[in-house]
Amino acid sequence: MKAKSLRKVTAEAKLLLIGIPVFLWTMLPIYHIFLFSISTKEEAFAGKLWPDHPTLRNFGLVLNQENYWLNHFWLQLWNSLVIAVTVGALTLFIATAAAFAISRLKARGGRLVMNLALFTYFIPAAFLAVPMYKAMGTYGLLNTQWALILAMVTIAAPYSIWVLKQASDKLPWELDEAARIDGATPLQLFRLVYLPLMAPSLVAVGTYALLLAWNEYLYAFLLLSRDTDITLAVALGHFLSADDSPWELLMTTGLIYALPPAAIYYTFKRYMVGGLTAGAVKS
Amino acid sequence: MASVSFTSIEKSFGSTKVIHGIGFDIADGEFVVLVGPSGCGKSTLLRMLAGLEDITGGTIAIDGRTVNDVESKDRDIAMVFQSYALYPHMTVADNMAFSLKLRKADRKVIAERVDKASKILNLDPYLHRFPRELSGGQRQRVAMGRAIVRDPKVFLFDEPLSNLDAKLRVAMRAEIKALHQRLRTTTVYVTHDQVEAMTMADRIVVMHDGRIEQIGTPLELYDHPRNLFVAQFIGSPAMNVVNGTVRRGGGGAHVEVAGGVRWPLHGAPGAEGQAVAYGVRPEHLTLAPDGGGVPGEIIVVEPTGAETELLIQVGDAQVALRTHGRPAVDHDQKVGLLVDPANVHVFDQSTGARLAS
Repeated sequence: MKAKSLRKVTAEAKLLLIGIPVFLWTMLPIYHIFLFSISTKEEAFAGKLWPDHPTLRNFGLVLNQENYWLNHFWLQLWNSLVIAVTVGALTLFIATAAAFAISRLKARGGRLVMNLALFTYFIPAAFLAVPMYKAMGTYGLLNTQWALILAMVTIAAPYSIWVLKQASDKLPWELDEAARIDGATPLQLFRLVYLPLMAPSLVAVGTYALLLAWNEYLYAFLLLSRDTDITLAVALGHFLSADDSPWELLMTTGLIYALPPAAIYYTFKRYMVGGLTAGAVKS
Repeated sequence: MASVSFTSIEKSFGSTKVIHGIGFDIADGEFVVLVGPSGCGKSTLLRMLAGLEDITGGTIAIDGRTVNDVESKDRDIAMVFQSYALYPHMTVADNMAFSLKLRKADRKVIAERVDKASKILNLDPYLHRFPRELSGGQRQRVAMGRAIVRDPKVFLFDEPLSNLDAKLRVAMRAEIKALHQRLRTTTVYVTHDQVEAMTMADRIVVMHDGRIEQIGTPLELYDHPRNLFVAQFIGSPAMNVVNGTVRRGGGGAHVEVAGGVRWPLHGAPGAEGQAVAYGVRPEHLTLAPDGGGVPGEIIVVEPTGAETELLIQVGDAQVALRTHGRPAVDHDQKVGLLVDPANVHVFDQSTGARLAS
């Protein structure tokens, strides 16, 4: 009995031994960001573990747009949000429809389409930036947010389709047959049986696409240029073009920028549960 | 309610032909069981009737209407799957109401039908539970309820009981049979379990390798199997079959088996010198009181309470004997076997066909 509990303790100690460094490793940069955001300009580079005069003034400056670099803070935050949500929604729509057609309706050539789409990942997205820029120019979409939205959907869709296809393959086939016999058209099957059962995967994929677009820098930088069009990520990048950047404001904005994704993640996390199909078929 | 007819049905998956020209009719209100070993094509046939598989050749008609190109949903059939296939995100009530909702039935009608079905199946207390909160037997009943509320022309059952434990299977067997007697809906039921087929069917269709071996009432199949396959498939324990040669010389007509054992023919057909398979069911063998009859030696005694089964070595073959009561015998004991003269089956050894008398 005692030996067993001792073994338990050592097992836990081993976990802690790994866990603590990983935790520190992850938290350290975030702590630095936080440190910058509560420091004054003078103290920002003092290298202290805690500033002598912690202040929330930086947040006030950012939220009231009281700096040259932050003239359009709220608009750019809004841009980021609109683009991310649109990308998430569009990707979800395309990927769900594709996965349903490929996995459940067994559309002819569906697998080929999916594999071709996945093939695009062999080329790093950065290399595709220039062709994408050209394509958007051809369609006259440059400097519109649609250019960035469409580009991000293009990048997010293949992986999303693949994930959703794998997930739909796991749904019991008999459910489709039962629904067909019960009188469901393919669209009713999609809406009334498929979508509810796919909900956890849909949340995961939607969150993935949304965060991908939210965090995107390269494409946003290339495809948008007006200060009133760009996303906050690009605006943050502009800080670096000055010799004497207000680092504490950059970090404060960064911290604020990181809050919505965290909120989204924790809101939707509880929907990403398994076991939704429990009880459908005897396995 | 409707009749169903299959005419020259063929089915191929790619280049593999799995059903070779099957044809038979099912009468209105009849309970027909398709039975056969796995891979015999019984489920495929049912799925073709359901509209879940294309028909390679031939026609299927429900109520006189050819349904080859009619979608499942327009065939007016309901199916109970082996795996239940309940919609996991819907309550029991919603599962049962689903098809009616799709058909845009009146709310009151839906409520009435669900209520009626749940009363028949004793599902009342579970209407607002989800499938995951139910036991296997309850799920099976929900699957049946989903079929009942439809009031379809034909019920299709695809091995509905094979996922249940033995005790529940017997109970559900009786429930399905009672349900059919109450609703009188034409039913096609697929199973690999010949006991299920025997106990439930009005008529049984025995299938093997994509062909029909025999169609008939349970007792017809049992008493007059048309060939060796049906003889050995129907009945548990299976019919004893030994290969031998017909001798019509001295000492009465008999079948002589390798090793010199002679099985009496008792007026059963077979020409002198013909190579035959001689069959007799375990319950048609009795122990001779005076040690006469076909000589053998008891290997195993299996008492089941009401009945006793004996495994007996006769020449090179082992035969089973089933008798009521508890005979005072033990293993290694020498016994003589008598054959019930009215129940001797003789089949051609090469074709397996029953010899005509």
